[in-house]
Amino acid sequence: MTAKGRNFLGLLGLAVAVAFLIFAPLSFHRYGIYILSQWAVMTIAAIGLNLTLGYAGQVSLAQGAFVGIGAYSAAILTTHGWPLIAAIVLALALCFAIGWLLGYPALRVQHHYLAFVTLAFSTLAFLVFRNELWLTGGTEGIDSVPRPSIFGLSTTSHLRYYYFCLFVLALVALAVLGLVRSPWGRAFVALRENPIRAMSLGVDTRRYVLMAFAIGSALGGLSGALYAPLVGLVEPPAFALTLSFNLLMMVIVGGSGYFVGPFVGAMTAVLLPEWLRFLESYYLILYALLVMALLIYSPTGLVGIIDRFLVHRRTKAASAARAALGASIEAKAP
Amino acid sequence: MIKRSASFGGALLLGLFVAGGGAGAAETINLADVAELSGSGATVGTNWKNGVDLAVEEINAHGGVLGAKIVVTHADSQSNAGIAKAQVQKALDSEPYALLGPGYSGSVKVCEPLAAEAGIAEIMGGEAAELTRMGNKYVFRTSFGQQSSMPKIGKYIAETLKAKTAAVVYVNNDFGRGGHDMILKEFAARGVKVVLDDSTEAGQADFAADALKVKNANPDVVFIYLNEEESARILKELRKADVKAPLVGETTLIGQKVIELAGDAANGAIGHVGLTTDAPVPALKAYRDRFYAKYHYVPDHNGVKGYLGVYMIKAATEKMGKLDSKGLAAALHGLTITTAMEPNILMDVTIDENGDLDRESFLGKVVDGKQVITEVLPKLKN
Repeated sequence: MTAKGRNFLGLLGLAVAVAFLIFAPLSFHRYGIYILSQWAVMTIAAIGLNLTLGYAGQVSLAQGAFVGIGAYSAAILTTHGWPLIAAIVLALALCFAIGWLLGYPALRVQHHYLAFVTLAFSTLAFLVFRNELWLTGGTEGIDSVPRPSIFGLSTTSHLRYYYFCLFVLALVALAVLGLVRSPWGRAFVALRENPIRAMSLGVDTRRYVLMAFAIGSALGGLSGALYAPLVGLVEPPAFALTLSFNLLMMVIVGGSGYFVGPFVGAMTAVLLPEWLRFLESYYLILYALLVMALLIYSPTGLVGIIDRFLVHRRTKAASAARAALGASIEAKAP
Repeated sequence: MIKRSASFGGALLLGLFVAGGGAGAAETINLADVAELSGSGATVGTNWKNGVDLAVEEINAHGGVLGAKIVVTHADSQSNAGIAKAQVQKALDSEPYALLGPGYSGSVKVCEPLAAEAGIAEIMGGEAAELTRMGNKYVFRTSFGQQSSMPKIGKYIAETLKAKTAAVVYVNNDFGRGGHDMILKEFAARGVKVVLDDSTEAGQADFAADALKVKNANPDVVFIYLNEEESARILKELRKADVKAPLVGETTLIGQKVIELAGDAANGAIGHVGLTTDAPVPALKAYRDRFYAKYHYVPDHNGVKGYLGVYMIKAATEKMGKLDSKGLAAALHGLTITTAMEPNILMDVTIDENGDLDRESFLGKVVDGKQVITEVLPKLKN
């Protein structure tokens, strides 16, 4: 297949997927719409983590905490009469700033050690959510988080709120696509692949590490700000370490460092357990086994499988062309 | 990048088949249960589910309700309010006769408006006081919530023990904080001064510092609201610190498990005993034996709650004389179910207009390593 043909097929697949996301929910029950909304919200957080981890190579176990910070910001402000948009802006700014600060340890430590630092931050955030009663409502959390009105349209109906989340996801996807294809994105990848070489080429590694954390965390906050009105309740256990691990799994299962990885990963994490529910009490066991089997078979995740397949075909096609060319040269030789 | 969008489109399509509606009702009573079957609330949810299954099995073996068999489906909320909401929506999309669960108060809070919107009665396990105070006419408790037990304990501490000062030790989670807030309100209303308000962690191993704090505060009474293992640990430490004040708590302070773990240190502890298998009621003991025979372990109070939830639905349906899902909530309000009418309700119970339960309870004391019932506490109303 030519590169043109592949591009065409890719765009066609994308168009069908987008059409599905827009039109299919019209025929869904509330449950289906709600699950898709959850997918959209979690995908935003996973895209953020994919920037930090997948592109810039900084291990973070704090993304769940940022979702929590965003969710609490939205819950506190909207229950006090603020519009959600204002809460989203504040959640973005707050998580950007905290993410930036959390990036500083990453300048000193890497890999497992960085994971521990971010894990400690996650625990700290959980304790704040649970213990600062005056602000967060403690163990009972904050309930009756209202759904926003967008341009005078109430989003109380699940379908409308889903479209709102989908719209935000589309904006985030376009913005991040632009980012990873810009010099910034190249700098992130350089940072991941070889920080010393990146530095020797004049990449300001210090600034890009901090940026990777800050932007990734801000997207976590945005996801949280959408999560709070979706569920209607924020409480500490929802943003405990489990969520950070879950988001990490989404990124890795989808394909860390691939732009579409988080979309696929979030789908796996949110939808796969739902499909397996017919197995009743065994569904989480099978889910875990499937994820383990996948990562043994393809450490680069689901998108990695498809990518490997495409690369393999291209290599084969190129080898065949080379062989054919060689044969024709030999035939022409006197 | 565009090359990768081929994989994106493919994978997205592969994934996007979300389950839609469910099966319609025939001549069966379809109950949808959403419980904490995994995650931090797995013990709660599994006990609840097993209680529900046992009740359904018994009722079906005796010909069902008004001739209709009960079919129950269980869905796991993973102890997460967001997932509980999804599962309740899925359950309601299949138009069940009634909804059972969830058990966590936070999950109930996000699910009960959905049940009300659908006009389906939700028989749940949450214990937080506000759940039945939000004006929702479709939500019902299966237990004696903290709002019913704490006034009884408060009254006992202020009037029988004549305490003027109290130390409160509680576990800082959903369960502990709910009880803590209720008892503080009771103490304030009855003029008992709180001289120590001590928050502890779930799973805490060392209570020496807490015991010392209690000792230094020198209260007339110590109110302890912890889970069983932690209760046993603090009882031992309080004895070591030689705290002489009466130790008062809930079922979780004087349950069989606490007595086994704390040994002699449990002697003298006083507790309010609601509907648990430790209560001195023959029907409850018989239930405990049936449960044990089926599942090979002793149920906690969540097992009793799930079991009773199904029998509440049965009694209300029989009162209506027809299978009327929309009328079920109205039939449950104000309903008194006696053991003469329905032996498996285990103890006479009245469901009030808010969906709260009222029934007798007991005051127990640990004497020589055994729980002894010292007083029967009457219903709050009538």
